[in-house]
Amino acid sequence: MEHARHVFRVLFVLLVAVVGIVLVRSFLVPASYGLYGPYRFDNVAEQAAIRPPLHGGAVACGECHEDRSKAVAAGVHRSVSCEVCHAPLGRHVKGGDVVAPMAVDRSFTLCARCHRKIDGRPTAFPQVVLEQHVQGGLEGRVCLECHDPHSPKL
Amino acid sequence: MDDNRSTRRDFLSNAITLGSGAVVFLSGTSLAAGEEHPAERYDWEAHRYAYVIDTTKCIGCGSCVRACRAENEVPDGYFRTWVERYVLSAESSHVDSPNGGLDGFPPMQAGFAPTKSFFVPKMCNHCKETPCIQVCPVGASYRTRDGVVLVDGQRCIGCGYCVQACPYGSRFLSPKTHTAEKCTWCYHRVTKGMKPACVEVCPTATRLFGDMKREDDPVRRILEHERVAVMQPHLLTEPQCFYLGLDKEVR
Repeated sequence: MEHARHVFRVLFVLLVAVVGIVLVRSFLVPASYGLYGPYRFDNVAEQAAIRPPLHGGAVACGECHEDRSKAVAAGVHRSVSCEVCHAPLGRHVKGGDVVAPMAVDRSFTLCARCHRKIDGRPTAFPQVVLEQHVQGGLEGRVCLECHDPHSPKL
Repeated sequence: MDDNRSTRRDFLSNAITLGSGAVVFLSGTSLAAGEEHPAERYDWEAHRYAYVIDTTKCIGCGSCVRACRAENEVPDGYFRTWVERYVLSAESSHVDSPNGGLDGFPPMQAGFAPTKSFFVPKMCNHCKETPCIQVCPVGASYRTRDGVVLVDGQRCIGCGYCVQACPYGSRFLSPKTHTAEKCTWCYHRVTKGMKPACVEVCPTATRLFGDMKREDDPVRRILEHERVAVMQPHLLTEPQCFYLGLDKEVR
């Protein structure tokens, strides 16, 4: 009988340990962990909803600015998204309401980022050697004095 | 008699402990088993994303880098995507990426007569057999069924193993959250049927995002008909970013 009690005590301690581990584990391991692999599946939905999309795309801009988007679509800048030169749509419109005026960048550097002649650009891409472009140099002038950014052909 | 009483008492207390433990354990698993992808009307089994970068078209404007920064609130000085410029001759080479190409590229003096030069946009390759997931000790890095490698910011302990493991340098530890961050292919956009921000703003169609489970997909067509390359194929990471016109100098 004494031996049986010893065995029982050992079993009891083991049982308590197992129950304890199961309890602690159930609290520590997130509910969706391991459903599809060794990660927390709930995070997939969290990532999908991490923030509302900021960039809307040219089609979204055209919903309000149809005339403008048509003019751009007819010119050589048709493949340039509005948000490249302006700003992401989300800074201008939120939930269908205009929250801030759209930024308009008229700077020389905006055009130069794509069209200044530098090493690296494909040779077929239209590039400008600044020193040879206009008489008197480009110092202090902006491209938009002569070019229409939405259809920049001269 | 005394022995019997004490064992009965023990038995009852054990039964209660075990029973409550089992209830907690089972409730945890049964809760999880019935769930579906919570993103509304989105079935991640119906997509498998892939990305194509045509380096022959890139003009180095950096619009993608700026768009990524704005879209994903990437901290200053860190990049989820960036653009590198390669200026090469037979003997010499020069590679630069001033501020990741965020403000475009200035003219440069290579110090030698270059015979070819080009831009290479870079980002997470969303590898199928990716080392970054293998080294994560807490199960924070994982690959979704639709083929996107993501980091669970709640699980990540910021050990930086994955940053070290990535052969493409695509990950960083955020100075804000102190957890690993990386390109998500704009998972918050693509699950809504939109393109990643970098693809959305690319003016020369250098960057293309597609779905291999769509038959008429332009990226799928390129992978089926063109000769595409991946970066560092000898590592067998099976990148899902495919390059057109990739030079041997690009790593």
